[in-house]
Amino acid sequence: MLGKILGLNTKTSVPSITSRWYATAVKRNTFKPLDSRKTFLIDSYASLMRHNQLVLFAHRNNLVKNDDDLFRSQIKQLGGELVVINNSLMKVYLRSEKDEDPADAQTTLKNKRNKHPLFSVLNGPTAAIAFKENDPSKIKQLYKVLKAAKEKLFVVGAKVDDDFYSLDKLDTYKDLPSKPELQAQLVGLLNILGGYGLTRTLESASNVLHLTLKSHHDNVENPKTEQEESK
Amino acid sequence: MITKYFSKVVIKFNPMGKDGKVARVFLSSIPPSMKGSCSIDSQVLLSSSKVEPTIKVTFKDKKTIEADPRNLNVQELGNLFDRHSRQLGLKDSLQA
Repeated sequence: MLGKILGLNTKTSVPSITSRWYATAVKRNTFKPLDSRKTFLIDSYASLMRHNQLVLFAHRNNLVKNDDDLFRSQIKQLGGELVVINNSLMKVYLRSEKDEDPADAQTTLKNKRNKHPLFSVLNGPTAAIAFKENDPSKIKQLYKVLKAAKEKLFVVGAKVDDDFYSLDKLDTYKDLPSKPELQAQLVGLLNILGGYGLTRTLESASNVLHLTLKSHHDNVENPKTEQEESK
Repeated sequence: MITKYFSKVVIKFNPMGKDGKVARVFLSSIPPSMKGSCSIDSQVLLSSSKVEPTIKVTFKDKKTIEADPRNLNVQELGNLFDRHSRQLGLKDSLQA
């Protein structure tokens, strides 16, 4: 049930009428007890990482309550969410990232030795800043907000779509326009520059076909008219 | 780690490198209550930058100790700075 609430695609059998259809109805064989905090956190990290295209990882440095509230509200205004991460449980999720249920007992044992590039940012106190949409301008705005935070909160890495981005990559990425903007630019470019030539090229095949058919049609028609004229 | 006698801390590190963990744990071990008495200057390096990662601590008696976070673990780094902090602590207790 927990998995369902969090939007996990767990293999579930439809509970029969006789079985109780709360918590126990979904038969998950989790590594830690089903109602434990650890299982809950792994599930919540799975939902966080799977439902947000852009997740930035930041070092959080002993934030006092005022700072914490301030940064949370500022990030919320940008449309993001700040989540404090339990590193070891996040690693459990990352090891079984590609599996359906990362909290599952067998999956956890199977993937015990898996490595993930994000492990390198999960050292020391970490927070995740998640955005639903993958928009580079959001990173730019976030950088502006975090500039005031100095050593209290700073970005150390990110997950963009399904890839890990280091700071170097993130720096170049944040200056790129967003996906819809790029698409609009491409359409504009095709319209202006390639417009005439491109339409001519695309049309030429059908034009040739049309002309051939027309001449054939004329050839078929012409003898008739010639015959009529001779009569 | 005793941070009571720090007056200035300069940290330069690459979060992706081996120094990332040591530097980040060190940074977080300085409590927010030290805000007034200890200035923190942290710089996050990109892997392409040529600046060497360092941790530099200036104590209240102006002594400076510098360490390379790539060669030490958190415990060793703490011991390195504690050695001088303890001396300062002893001096403090004798004067009081």
